Amino acid sequence: MSGVVLEARNITKRFGGLVALKNVSVSVTEGEIYGVMGPNGSGKTTLFNVITGLLRQDEGKIIFMGKDISRLPPHARARMGIARTFQNIRVYPHLPVYYNVAVAALAKYRDKKEAHQETLRVLNLMKLLDDAWRPAGSLTPYKLKLTEFARALVLKPKIMLLDEPFAGLTPGESEMLIDVIRDLNQNGMTFVIIEHKLRYLMKIADRVAVLCFGEKIFEGKPQEAVRDKRVIEAYIGGGLE
Amino acid sequence: MALNPLRRRGGLRWFITKIIILVVLFVLPFTGLVNEYWLSVLTRVNIFLVLAITFDFFSGTTLYLNLGHSFIVGLAAYSLAIFNIFAHIPVALAIPLATITATIISLLLFLPSIRVKGEYFAILSLLYPIILISIATTQPFSAYLGGEAGLMSDQLLLGCALKLSPEHSLFFLTTSYYLLSLAMAVAAFIILYKLAYSDFGFTLRAIGEDEELAEATGVNTTRVKLKGFLIASALASLAGSFYAAIKPPITTDFVSPDSILIPILTAVIVGGLGSIVGTAISSYILFIIYEALWGVFGVWRTVVYMLILIVFVVLKPEGIMYQLYVKARKVLGGGG
Repeated sequence: MSGVVLEARNITKRFGGLVALKNVSVSVTEGEIYGVMGPNGSGKTTLFNVITGLLRQDEGKIIFMGKDISRLPPHARARMGIARTFQNIRVYPHLPVYYNVAVAALAKYRDKKEAHQETLRVLNLMKLLDDAWRPAGSLTPYKLKLTEFARALVLKPKIMLLDEPFAGLTPGESEMLIDVIRDLNQNGMTFVIIEHKLRYLMKIADRVAVLCFGEKIFEGKPQEAVRDKRVIEAYIGGGLE
Repeated sequence: MALNPLRRRGGLRWFITKIIILVVLFVLPFTGLVNEYWLSVLTRVNIFLVLAITFDFFSGTTLYLNLGHSFIVGLAAYSLAIFNIFAHIPVALAIPLATITATIISLLLFLPSIRVKGEYFAILSLLYPIILISIATTQPFSAYLGGEAGLMSDQLLLGCALKLSPEHSLFFLTTSYYLLSLAMAVAAFIILYKLAYSDFGFTLRAIGEDEELAEATGVNTTRVKLKGFLIASALASLAGSFYAAIKPPITTDFVSPDSILIPILTAVIVGGLGSIVGTAISSYILFIIYEALWGVFGVWRTVVYMLILIVFVVLKPEGIMYQLYVKARKVLGGGG
């Protein structure tokens, strides 16, 4: 068993009176694909925002590679190796694809030449070189996903957080994206994936956590999750007797 | 390796066009085509061009609209006067000193507000010039800063520093001002144009498109914004102190949003936000139109000018000059 890359310890996050995350603990080991499931509004994206530093938790700690990063700003966490993609694809629509990736690279590397070389390397890896100088806003949703992946990969991350990566893709494109994720995973990349379409997580996740109203109600193998009574209740609603 | 087509160099014909434009601008005073009046108008155009492209460089890329741009100009102008009149520093030396002073003070004062996002930054930045005007016209400071009448001394004029005796003609004076302002404008344009399309420029543009995304992908956005602001305010301070040295007395006209900010904003809007080159072209065209309207419409020229602007903005809200520039470049074989 390899070491723990990322640990969220007893995270609580409140928005006014609403408790978005209630004492949630998650720990991700190196090289695994860790799924986060849960119905809408269960706190999945909030958990990502707390891990990446866009939101500050009210209680608890974020430990990354053995270091407490709870107080670091988002850009410092990104440079340390926590990369993410967004639920609704986010790019700089008027900038060329090249600079969508290079802006992150230039922030990470001191040496400009190295930053440009890395940009070209990941664009080639994601097969985006032909589109490099088109404005990002003109790409198809699948290529936009790949742009987000390239922008994440250029940071040479230890872990990638994907927020609903299959949203807006056709089944065929989703299969292609799964291959990309598997490929990266076999080369040692650790993933945390938010998804509420179970069938994709069933295919690729090693472990899943299920959130419901800000609480973790399940953690384990995805095949067991679909048989768990509390998970089924959370998804199709319980209490009808 | 993928070549950056945005940085592709133009052809020979494009290069020659640029050289011809530069040569024409520099020999203009000696051709006899323009009189002293128009030379002084063009001098002011050069200064406002620098103010407009510095505004465009920071605000046009990051979309942090710095409505306090005239504050930096006023700060430089008053610094120049204080150095010259109270510290008796000759004006040629006071210009660089005032530039440095105004840059540092504006950077320190904007430090807290640059973290404020979007439209809130715009509103906050508008307060700076208003506060400076209040300070300059209210006791006890107005006693030192000249109040409404402004600050004036014989030594303040750059002409004295240029060792111009009364025998020197008006032509010599206006020509030297014009050439100095032109050199400053050309230098500022080259610096800002190169930077705006450099790696740093694209990072500024990324912040303008989605600051949170930039932050989440490793960009220290506060630092990048401060660096962009520093470059813009340093060049704006230079233009401001030079302007003060050729057009004393130093009054609140150097600070007021209507005399400084409105001309800048119109040039940037008609030029195309973040384009630098569009803003530079529109500065020239708009100011010359504005002056020419005087002869036809007299005091009504402002109304006519504003009507022209409204038509511009309604027809082409994304700015017209940059697109004209791109077309001209294509026609002249500039590639890209």
